[in-house]
Amino acid sequence: MRTTSRKFIAATAGAASIALLATACSTGGGGGNAEETTDPNAKITLTVATFNDFGYTDELLAEYTKLHPNITVKQTKAAKSDDARQNLTTKIAAGGAGLADIEAIENDWLVELLQVSDKFLDLKDPAVDGRWPDWKNAAATSTDGRLIGYGTDIGPEGICYRTDLFEKAGLPTDRAEVAELIGGDSATWDSYFDAGKKFVDETGIAWFDSAGALWQGMVNQVEYPYENEDGSVKPLADNTEIHDLYNKVLEASVDDKLSAGLAQWEQDWTAAFTQDKFATMLCPAWMTGPIKQNAGDAGQGKWDVADVFPGGGGNWGGSWLTVPASGKNTAAAKELAAWLTAPEQQIKAFENAGTFPSQIEAQKSQTLLDSKNEYFNDAPVGQIFSNRAAAITVSSFRGPNYFKIGQTITDALRRVDVDKSQDAAAGWDQAVKDFNALGL
Amino acid sequence: MSLKSPAPPAPAPEAPYRAPRRVGFSQTLSRWDVKVSPYLYISPFFILFAVTGLFPLVYTAVVSLHQWTLLGGQGDFVGFQNYIDVFNQPNFWKSLRNTFSIFLFSSVPQVVVAIAIAALLDQNLRARTFWRMGVLLPYVVAPVAVGLIFGRLFADQSGLINAWLGAIGIDPVKWHVDVIPSHIAIASMVNFRWTGYNALIFLAAMQAVPRELYEAAIIDGAGRMRQFFSVTVPQIRSTIIFIIITSTIGGLQIFDEPRVYDEYGTGGADKQWLTTTLYLYDLGWGTQANFGRAAAVAWLLFIVIIAIGLVNFAITRRISSGDAPKMTRNQRRAYARANAARRNR
Amino acid sequence: MSSIGVTQQTAGKGAARAASKKRNRKLVGGYDRRPRWVTYAILALAVVIGILPLYYTLIIGSSTPGEIAANPLPQLFPDASLFANFSAVINSTAFSFWKAFGNSVIIAVVTSLSIVLFSTLAGFSFAKLRFRGRGPLLLFVIATMAVPTQLGVVPLYIVMSQLNWIGQLQAVIVPGLITAFGVFWMTQYLESALPYELIEAARVDGASLFRTFWSIALPAARPAAVMLALFSFVQQWTNFFWPSIVLNQNNPTLPLAVRLLQANYFVDYTLVLAGVFLVTLPLLILFIFAGRQLVAGIMSGAVKG
Repeated sequence: MRTTSRKFIAATAGAASIALLATACSTGGGGGNAEETTDPNAKITLTVATFNDFGYTDELLAEYTKLHPNITVKQTKAAKSDDARQNLTTKIAAGGAGLADIEAIENDWLVELLQVSDKFLDLKDPAVDGRWPDWKNAAATSTDGRLIGYGTDIGPEGICYRTDLFEKAGLPTDRAEVAELIGGDSATWDSYFDAGKKFVDETGIAWFDSAGALWQGMVNQVEYPYENEDGSVKPLADNTEIHDLYNKVLEASVDDKLSAGLAQWEQDWTAAFTQDKFATMLCPAWMTGPIKQNAGDAGQGKWDVADVFPGGGGNWGGSWLTVPASGKNTAAAKELAAWLTAPEQQIKAFENAGTFPSQIEAQKSQTLLDSKNEYFNDAPVGQIFSNRAAAITVSSFRGPNYFKIGQTITDALRRVDVDKSQDAAAGWDQAVKDFNALGL
Repeated sequence: MSLKSPAPPAPAPEAPYRAPRRVGFSQTLSRWDVKVSPYLYISPFFILFAVTGLFPLVYTAVVSLHQWTLLGGQGDFVGFQNYIDVFNQPNFWKSLRNTFSIFLFSSVPQVVVAIAIAALLDQNLRARTFWRMGVLLPYVVAPVAVGLIFGRLFADQSGLINAWLGAIGIDPVKWHVDVIPSHIAIASMVNFRWTGYNALIFLAAMQAVPRELYEAAIIDGAGRMRQFFSVTVPQIRSTIIFIIITSTIGGLQIFDEPRVYDEYGTGGADKQWLTTTLYLYDLGWGTQANFGRAAAVAWLLFIVIIAIGLVNFAITRRISSGDAPKMTRNQRRAYARANAARRNR
Repeated sequence: MSSIGVTQQTAGKGAARAASKKRNRKLVGGYDRRPRWVTYAILALAVVIGILPLYYTLIIGSSTPGEIAANPLPQLFPDASLFANFSAVINSTAFSFWKAFGNSVIIAVVTSLSIVLFSTLAGFSFAKLRFRGRGPLLLFVIATMAVPTQLGVVPLYIVMSQLNWIGQLQAVIVPGLITAFGVFWMTQYLESALPYELIEAARVDGASLFRTFWSIALPAARPAAVMLALFSFVQQWTNFFWPSIVLNQNNPTLPLAVRLLQANYFVDYTLVLAGVFLVTLPLLILFIFAGRQLVAGIMSGAVKG
């Protein structure tokens, strides 16, 4: 038995080192042209692993075969991104066997994947220079400068609001006027909260859904929230920038009663869409889907989107295509990933699945700009979210400990805002305690 | 079973199969049969375990002694440092507290109700198949449906249970805030799924109890309750031990229910329902990214389960042997007949 | 574990008195007597609790997404749109329903048969045969159940990839061929349900151990075996986690395929639950079949004894 298991361990180690070798080769070959060692005309099948719905239909994939007759593209889909993440991490942990040639990943996994960026092909290539905004590329670039993913979609954030409740409060309901009310181009979190205080005074209904949701919008505008540029951790007790933001969001949420005190995605939050529980929410492009689903037929025409976001632009979510270095046809896979994430294909994906494209050029496409959302009073969502995407400037730095530290704060916000089991000060004290227990 | 006619009271032999007193090849063969076959029969489990179970066990042990991340793989050898780190994390102790609490809220009522349902099913019912399979239905309901329903039942503001409580003038319960209510809610999900399952295991054992024992008890004037405690319980003792041990093992590994109890799956904002396996998962796959510590927790949990299992086993044995109910003479005779047909070990 | 045996029993005082007094009440409390309505009422309550989620599944499965957002219980009875949702699931382009169905059948049938055969064999050996190391070996079997499963995923995946089984059904089947649960269950069951005398009789007739097992132990084990088969079948049929790691959508099981109905930013629960019900339906049919077997098993066991 012992020997068997040793053999297995040895085999894994072997697989890992082969993966390393493969990486070394492919990077050593230079960042230039994709075709190098392999015969460009050999018949191959490339697999693309995605989740949710990337909008890559069989027709779209067949187009690639038309361009490259020797290549067949197969897609394997996971239903939920959690399933996909579990699948990807298990396979990487087990040495890389069974990974697809192209693996789609989500924004939130980047932190852990960038720690092992050598397990992915460096996709840097002059051919795709300038395709994405800098912040999108920066998010997928490791500290040693490797680009591990090509961006697919993003989640530029506007503000979704309830027209009927605004009317009840005597506030403007037109989306341009609402944008002005919140602060227009120079909107800040304070101007957003001030508009909220007026609303709450009139109606007694909360202004936004959840302190946690606001927090994620606010912290994403901080350049170095929890860690320094070199990856070293900022002690939470001394992190005044974060502490100030924490106090600001809770003051608005609890003291000024702007928050409905709901935890996002929970049953109570979902149910609140059919009641008059809150009037606005931070709204990435994809959030229009859940709103429509939760508010149901009765909510038709009650929701709208304003072309505004406090504190500048904001992005929530988005995905990338990566090429695992352990694959057999990494060069061909890279080429396919570049093709799939090109503006033309990404616009088709948008048409198929509504994924908002991350490519600068795709955001200028007429198809996108003309798109409207019937459920949201025929709001020109394509135009609005393109504007919101252009407003994004900062991508906050996420080092290896980003989520560990972030969790201590979101837990505190939930205790204060949702559970109401602590006040803001006690919540912060426990967050600091939890932070210290991490032993960073 | 063997009780259609009373069996001659045979003394329990030392070894079950003494080779017949014949000489020659068949005897040799028979001796080999007796010696080797028992091992042969249990070998499939051990062979499969060697292939699919042993390596994970060893692997986990090796991981727990190293600095190790899921994606980055093996780091430095650190000895028992991961174990020490785990002991120093308050959340580990919280998770043990939660695990035990949920375990008690689930296993105890579950076993009691299951045995009661089994006793009801072990009667001359009309439409037997319907009732038997009816109680097993929760076992096949898909988790997504269960999640939807329990989510709607236990939501703090919009939930049905709080609405019902409100209707009779009781303050709403903070199912997702307070520790004990969250444990009760999670335990009820567990009990929903597993009570019928355990009831059918009990039922299968009850079906094997010789009916003559009940006849004898009835002749002695024992009522239903008395029959149950003095005939059924002792007769299905080994199955009771089985249920208690397996539900201890399963209960202490509880993972799915607390994970789906909210949308975040991290055990609550104050770790109110963080169980040990959930903690393990968070260490290995979640934000903590420390596979080494996760492996250490796995081993610690393993040791805890074994310890609790042994304690449970000892208690169960004492209860069902020490408190053995008094029997009537007819019962005793029936027992003698039944037991004569068994081997006492 | 050798101490798991039949309890020592002692008779109480007044046994004879009670016996002579109550002899005439035999029929009143007899086993064949039909139970009172209270029994049915309690069981009915248990069954209703069990049926409610299935009922709810059907209701949601026959609604539209707009309806369930407006009202958690949009209607009282399932209607024709249920079948529209069913056919939408079966004809979905996202996956091949029948291929997934076939895979699920293969996996569930093979593993549950194998579990029953090998577990009964091992249980027979542990419960009724005497051999060196029996107690420790049984303890070892039980202890393997206490290993937290989450952590085994990565090493087990390594094993499967070494065997080149990734994406193939045997990666799901082989680890499920025999379970510690099954071995332990059969051991405990046969311990009390299989009279030693029967084995001895077969041995005196010169039957080999395997023949004894086949003709004596296996029939005696029937109720427990049917139960174990049913449990194993259901477990494999509904298993999601491990298949989702080692298989992929080109060769999926039913839960894996139907999960694709949830592949979106927002989930259309009407389709999801229609799919979920389709997955459950074969199990309900199996229940009817197995329930009969369970009864039959007990009868034949009694007659044989």
